[in-house]
Amino acid sequence: MSSIIARVVIVGGGTAGWITAGTIAAQHQRENGQGLEITLVESPNVPIIGVGEGTWPTMRNTLKKMGVRETDFIRECNVAFKQGARFSRWHTGKPDDYYYHPLVLPQGFHTANLAPQWLEDSAGLSFSKAVCPQEYLCERGLAPKQITTPEYAALANYAYHLNAGTFSKFLQKHCTEKLGVRHVLDDVTQVNSAANGDIASVSTKAHGDLAGDLFIDCTGFKSLLLGEHLGVPFRSCKDVLFVDTALAVQVPYASEDSPIASHTISTAQDAGWIWDIGLSTRRGVGHVYSSAHTTEERAREQLSAYLRPEVENPDLLSTRKIPINPGHRTRFWEKNCVAVGLSAGFLEPLEASALLLVEISAAMIAEQFPVNRQAMDIIARRFNDTFLYRWDRIIDFLKLHYLLSERTDNAFWVDNRDPASVPDSLQELMTLWQYHHPWHDDFDRAVEVFPAASYQYVLYGMGFKTEPGHLGMSGRSREVARQYLQRNEAQTRQLLDSLPGNRELLNKIHKYGLQQI
Amino acid sequence: MARPEMLSLEAHKNTRIITARGAAYGDNVHMVPVTARELPRLVVDFPVVMIKNNETGQFELTVLLGFEPGENLYLEDDKWTTRYIPLHLQRQPFMVGFQTRKGDDPGAKNAVMSLDMDSNRVSTTEGEPLFLEDGKKSPLLERMDGILSELMSGTELTKVFLAKILELELIEPAQMDVTFPSGKKMRYDGVYTVNAEKLAALEGEQLQELHKRGFLQACHIMMASLGQFNKLIARKK
Repeated sequence: MSSIIARVVIVGGGTAGWITAGTIAAQHQRENGQGLEITLVESPNVPIIGVGEGTWPTMRNTLKKMGVRETDFIRECNVAFKQGARFSRWHTGKPDDYYYHPLVLPQGFHTANLAPQWLEDSAGLSFSKAVCPQEYLCERGLAPKQITTPEYAALANYAYHLNAGTFSKFLQKHCTEKLGVRHVLDDVTQVNSAANGDIASVSTKAHGDLAGDLFIDCTGFKSLLLGEHLGVPFRSCKDVLFVDTALAVQVPYASEDSPIASHTISTAQDAGWIWDIGLSTRRGVGHVYSSAHTTEERAREQLSAYLRPEVENPDLLSTRKIPINPGHRTRFWEKNCVAVGLSAGFLEPLEASALLLVEISAAMIAEQFPVNRQAMDIIARRFNDTFLYRWDRIIDFLKLHYLLSERTDNAFWVDNRDPASVPDSLQELMTLWQYHHPWHDDFDRAVEVFPAASYQYVLYGMGFKTEPGHLGMSGRSREVARQYLQRNEAQTRQLLDSLPGNRELLNKIHKYGLQQI
Repeated sequence: MARPEMLSLEAHKNTRIITARGAAYGDNVHMVPVTARELPRLVVDFPVVMIKNNETGQFELTVLLGFEPGENLYLEDDKWTTRYIPLHLQRQPFMVGFQTRKGDDPGAKNAVMSLDMDSNRVSTTEGEPLFLEDGKKSPLLERMDGILSELMSGTELTKVFLAKILELELIEPAQMDVTFPSGKKMRYDGVYTVNAEKLAALEGEQLQELHKRGFLQACHIMMASLGQFNKLIARKK
């Protein structure tokens, strides 16, 4: 028996649900209306978590593929540009301690590794300043493009800071009006199994049973379909990443023309760190910490202290406390159900991996969409392999940020460096990188999440040293590196001269819009 | 920067305007904004393209006169080698100002004629007078009045034209790779033209609407005018 997959039911309508709906619909919508039938059912009573406010540059392509106009998205979702992250006080903990993880790759990254040259002679520049222009752009608060740059095109690679709440509504409108997604506002009361253990349908209060061939679980932390109904176990990684609580707060700007940082600011604290994300209308700030290493009271105090220079009475702002259970399901696609978003897992938002995982999950489901039930198990296995690998790499990469800290002010930092808390895969790379500079060969899967460049930015940003090998650098590679470093200087000057301020450009986009060409 | 002054008999009774052409009077520019209504006259000599305004990112219609700022290859000392000079240059040093009260939108209703007092064309000793002995407008001023109102309505029409062809996705970046007679090469970046294939593929109502409003002809003229680009290259010494 061959049963085709024609009806997709997505349960849950936060950003995960709508990104998945839009991505699948855009790829499988047919002119004659014979594409997939996609239904998204969401409870009118369950609030979305909506803290995922930082994205990756992948979001540009995700939105473009859905047929979204970047101008509309920027105007309606309180969007500001993000050009990477600044990590403050992570290394030594001193007030002047910071480094950048920019989104622009080092110059010539596909052909030349600039790390050895920089380690030999940094010329007084941070690694990121030596190899790409973006740290300079962020320090000056400049935008990554001009008003004449077409939608989604960049002069410096960029992502977004967005308002997750309005983003969901924005995507909902686009998906239902332009992409033919059916939207059912109702509570799911029951999950119904078929004889083979697949999910046959979900029952709703007012819309009866919604039958489907493929179910997508976007129910958030609840993981209603994959976790509760199908019983796929959760794998905690709290032994690696200790952060388990977030205190989130929305902070108004002092005035309408206050500058907007064009990067995420992550400032290390006693037992965690504070994120600071600038939207066009407000900032989103939050303290994530390890409850085993500090108290909520102390965490609140530190959050207030962080806000105080700009906010008169930070204690008057209302904070939301969000528990974080770091980890993920041991399988993401089980039978005819795949989980996307928080239902699949969650990690501290150190590198904005939450929305990224949603995007790449949705993309893989759309691209490898099973034609029939026979093909589904094979694709499910492939999906699970891919995403277990991706989660492991993200966990490794987040842990890397803690490994190189020299802070001793709280057991949080000391415990983080305990080898017992470091995954073997990361431990092995750390050993390798003492003698070899991170390079493409270290991350050779087609499904890599972070390029070797990201590891270079974090390692060398935090003072890591790779020993020069006994072979040294060839005269040729030295010359090539020198040329790229010079090119970087020239490009940096040119961008500094031509890019507008972050807020200035956003204001113009609100007023005039960006062209599609 | 321009220093506009509202035109009045009282303030400008003795003001004269130098009508000569040349670099000294601001004719040495490599791009000039034009209106869609000027297209039939422009196509005889100039390449007409679209560029994006640096401040707003919005498309504007423009003629290309040279390859770098300050270079007008149609200007030989104090003479234009063409019969037609774009209105935007003809009107110098006159400008349209708007006398608006709070809440008013600037428009034809509240437009007033102004003079850029910083222009080299403004004099008290040389050139043509603005007002006659009896206080009436001079022939020059009458002519300028006409040019400015033509420019104003033409500019409005051009906006509508550009919005329409943008909506129909007819605008595309023009790849202008140039080899000068000297052998030197350059790329003319940031200019846009009409996509001939997409224009040809238009049908039915859309096509009829373009035709009725004169926009179809404007598109064809713009495409044809690109032939003048080769003449421009040849002029480059």
